[in-house]
Formats: sequence, C-alpha cells, structure tokens
Amino acid sequence: MSLILRLAWRSIWRNRRRTAITILSIGFGLALAIFFISVAEGVYVRLIDQVTRTTSGHVTLEHPAYQEAPAVDLYVENTRPLSAVIRSWPQVDMVKPLVLGQGMAKSGAGSLGAAIMGVDPAVERMTSPLPGNIREGEYLSPGDQALVVIGRGMAGHLNLAVGKKLVLATNDAHGNLVEELCRVKGVFATGSEELDSYFIQAPLGFASRLFGLPRDAATRLGVVLKRAGDQDEILRKARDLVKGRDIRALPWQEVLPEVASYIRVDKGSNWIFQGILIFIVLFTIFNTLLMSVLERKSEFAVLLAIGTRPRQIRAQVFLESLFLGFLGCAAGLLLGGGLSLLVNEVGIDLASLLGEGVTISGFAMDTRLYAEFTLAGLFWPTGVVFGATLLLSLIPMRRAVRVTMADAMR
Amino acid sequence: MSQGVIIKVRNLVKDYGKGQVLTKALRGVDLDLVAGEFTAMAGPSGSGKSTLLNMIGGLDTPTSGSVEVEGVDIARLSGGKKSALRRDRIGFIFQSYNLIPVMTAMENAEYVLMLQGMKTAKRRELVAGVLAQVGLTGLENRFPRELSGGQQQRVAIARAIAPAPALVLADEPTANVDSKTGAALMDLMRRLNEEKGVTFLFSTHDPQVMRRARRLIRLKDGAVESSLEQDGNGPAPDCE
Repeated sequence: MSLILRLAWRSIWRNRRRTAITILSIGFGLALAIFFISVAEGVYVRLIDQVTRTTSGHVTLEHPAYQEAPAVDLYVENTRPLSAVIRSWPQVDMVKPLVLGQGMAKSGAGSLGAAIMGVDPAVERMTSPLPGNIREGEYLSPGDQALVVIGRGMAGHLNLAVGKKLVLATNDAHGNLVEELCRVKGVFATGSEELDSYFIQAPLGFASRLFGLPRDAATRLGVVLKRAGDQDEILRKARDLVKGRDIRALPWQEVLPEVASYIRVDKGSNWIFQGILIFIVLFTIFNTLLMSVLERKSEFAVLLAIGTRPRQIRAQVFLESLFLGFLGCAAGLLLGGGLSLLVNEVGIDLASLLGEGVTISGFAMDTRLYAEFTLAGLFWPTGVVFGATLLLSLIPMRRAVRVTMADAMR
Repeated sequence: MSQGVIIKVRNLVKDYGKGQVLTKALRGVDLDLVAGEFTAMAGPSGSGKSTLLNMIGGLDTPTSGSVEVEGVDIARLSGGKKSALRRDRIGFIFQSYNLIPVMTAMENAEYVLMLQGMKTAKRRELVAGVLAQVGLTGLENRFPRELSGGQQQRVAIARAIAPAPALVLADEPTANVDSKTGAALMDLMRRLNEEKGVTFLFSTHDPQVMRRARRLIRLKDGAVESSLEQDGNGPAPDCE
C-alpha cells in the first residue's frame, strides 16, 4: 500500500501548476460556499432573533382560536402563574405578556389605523430591540400609564411629537367602542416603514384597560429563548403545561408564517446557488482527474504490463483524488472558516450599499451583516465536496485500466 | 514441457481489423525458446516482431494458436494470474525505457519486487546489487529526468532482471540511444545472460544487436523466415 500511496502522492505533484490551480479552485469554491452559507444563516438567525424578541417570542401561548381570527376577546387568563413556571425553565430568557389589538390613532392632524401592543416595559427593555430604536423622548418604564411610543412615520402623519396627546379608539373585548387619551413618550425609528407608520406600544395595564381585558390576561404570552435551537423542547414542554386548558402553544413559524416563508424561499434559492457553485468546483476536479489519467495512459499500460494489478492502478487513481480533495477541502475549510469567523465577530457594514437599510417581512434588518459560524455550516459543504470528489474518481479509475497494454511496448 | 524450453509458440495467428481492412500481423508462427538463450528477432517494419513479443508477454491475445510460458498456456490464465505471470516470470524492456517518472532509479528498479511484497531491507540490498551490475552505483536516487537515455535504459534493464524472471522480452532496446551506448547496453545484457543465465528475446532493427545475438530469427510478413544459430561475435548480418 505504501508503494501506491507514494506513487499517488508524487503523481499529483508531477504537474504542480495544474494541481495548485485545482486545489485553489476547490478551496476557493468551497470557501465561497461556506462563507455564503454562514452569512445567510447569520441573516436568518438575526432575523428570527429580532422578530421573536420584537413580537411574541420563539414559542407563543395564545387562545386556540386566536391565530385564525385575532381578536381581543380571545385571550389567555391568569398569565402570571403560567409565566412563572415557564420562566423557571433554564432555556427561557424571558416571558412577555402581550395585549394586541387594532384601533385608530387620532390627533388634531388626522387619524391613522394602528396596531396597538400592550407590553410590560421592564420585560420589553430586556428582550426587544425596539427600546434601542427610540430616536426622540424615552421608551416606556414600569409604572407608566397613559403613555405610548409611536413610530416616526406615524408621528409625521399625525403631526405628533414627544409630550403631544393622541387618542386611541378601538372596539374592546365586549364589543364596545372605546377611546383613551394618551401622550407620546417616545418616537422610534426601526427602518421598517410598516412598523414605523403603524405600530404603537403602550404599557400592559393601559392596553388591558383600553381593550377591556380582565386583570392578568393577555392575548399572547411570548416565550423568548436563550438559544433558538431549544425551541422544539420548549414547545413540547409548553404544550404539556397547557394540556387540557383553553390555550395552545405555537412555534414562531406558525405565528409569523410570512417570515418563515421568506426564510424557506431564501434558503431554497441559496441551495440552488450553492449547488451551482459546488457543481463548478466538482467539474474542475473531474476535469483534472480525467485529464491526469488520460495523459498517463501509456504509463498505466506499462504498469499493467510489468505486473501491476488493475485494482492497484485504480487504488492509485482513487488516492490521487483523495489527496486532491483533501488538500482542496482543507484549503476551503481554512479560507471559508476563517472568513466566516471574521464576519461572525466583526460583521460587514453594507450601509453604503443598502442606504437606509432593508426590511424583511416588515422587520428592519441591521445593515451590518454577521455570519453564523457553526461546525455544521463548515463541515456539510466540505463533506459534500470531498465525498463527491471521491465519487467522481470512479470514472477516471475505470479509464486508467482501460488501456491497451500492447501500446506500452511501442 | 520439453527439456529447457520455456517458451513454446504454436501456429500463432494475429489479425487486426476485419473485412476489407483486415491486417494479418502473424500468420502461424512456431517458435521454441530454451532457457539461457540470447535471441534476436529481426525483420522489416510490419514483419510482426512487436506483435510476437506482445503475444509471448501476455500483453495481447492471439486470434488463434497458443503461447506457453514454462508449460502454461497463457490464453487460459485469468487476468490476475496473467498479471502474476508477467510480474514474476517475465521482465520487459521497452524501446522508450518507460520508467515511472516520479520514482527514483532505485524505486523504479525495485517496483516489481515491491509488487511481489518483498521486505524492504532484502529488496534494497538486492536492487543495490543489480544497479551495481548495470553500472548505476551512485545514481540510485536520481529521477529518470536526471538520467541520460542510456542510464534510463540501464534502470529499465535493472527493473526487468531484479525479480530474476525466466525470460526478458526487449522491444528494440537500443533504438533510442546512440551506437556507443547501444553497444554498452548489449554488452551488459550479454554479460547478464552469460553470468546469471537470464534468457533474452529481442526485437531489433539494429545490426549491432543482431551481431551480438547467439540466435537470430528473421520474420517476414508475419511468419518466421529463418532461425540461425551464431556465435554472437560475427559481422553484422543483412537485416532487410
């Protein structure tokens, strides 16, 4: 075996330039694949983190009929003991009680449809990115009553500013038309036109009163996790916890189907792109292996003539493929992994390209992109390229022994 | 097997192509080769010299007829057994040397022994001796590209004789070297034949090779025209 190993190793270096180009091609292609996969994964992770923290968590507890027809009369009662149990689970970062409803925001300048979200300011400050987006005034604080934060778009439409009054009008849980006067405490700008023009946050107590909900009730209970990967386990535990009660637990993918769809579609197009990239890489490898074998046909004929068995020749070609694949994949892992790690740590600022930023399903994304550096993200494309390299060697292996030995005598 | 006969060729026919483009490369060749012979095959291009060597070496299959090596009909051997026969009993020397370019002179010479699974220490000792016999002491670690044509052919001879085969087949071994180097190579092979009893069968156009052979077989149009015993020191015969 050492003879075959030695022959294979030396053979790949007989055309150093071609071998170097092949290794670099594999390495560069694989590095690109690893990098794009990790950046895309980074976008998904941050998008999921942002939407779950801004809205109703990785796992949401709500009335069984709420998802199909959201209405304020479909609420969950006695949320405090439920929250306390869920908060005690080690994977849980925070539990957000939310009161969500639709209404109108009115000022002297006009009126505008609005999504009103009643929140616990203390919890929200620790979980949601929204408090960090306050551009004027302040975010809500525990104990606040008739104070709200609104988006910059809404402030512009209704000619509102910090300290100004507005009226929120809605139908409460009992079907009554109600109105509450409140003041603007802060104005946020998330970069999402949808959120900035439509979304209002108010203290939980104030929103409960506005919508006529009983004390300690919420339309949704959002469970924010420390790690998104724990979602399935927490979902299972939450379902066990509310079994037999008029509550159901949903994953964020069902609560925010448009975000989940976006990620699915984007992942699909990424797979196609990665597939094309990997195909090109594999084509390069195949071309090199085949050329290398075809130009040595007389050499293989001589080896066969002097008594080398065909399986030994096939083993040599297989080992040459293995060496090329290994070196190329090692180069790709180092380059792609290093780049991903760097972008994982410092990010890439695309502000100059993206201007004021991008929104995905109504949620503004940071213009600084971060990669998600994971071992799976490193090793699955590497495994595909390496495995495919070995598979591709089957054809050159066969061609290497399909030679006319008599030619060797010429 | 007749006493001492290591190669027995009977009514050997080889056709290439078919129909209108049928080429009869061998037309019923009969030949016996006795152990220890130093035989040259001469004849014009297309007379069937290389084809006959290929058949005897098991590199090609005859259309009809038989080739026996040490009493074994090679047409009846499986692929694996044929490989083993070539590896263990037949040495090959090619016109273009055909060394493995990524292996040193030592590694090329010991290649077949490695295939045979001989232990490293024993192999190295044996091959060092063979390389010394062919006059390559000090050049063991050179790659083929670092050797002259004559030196490369010496490595090829070392590779052929190192496993102590029953027979060495050489296809125009001096065709690619100058006459002085060719003469030196012939001297070397004659010496190996005389001292070690290695049986050689050459194909050649080279009068020098023909003159040094102890038996000269002439082929013409795929058949044996004549087979003459000679002393191996005579004048160059007329080869055409």
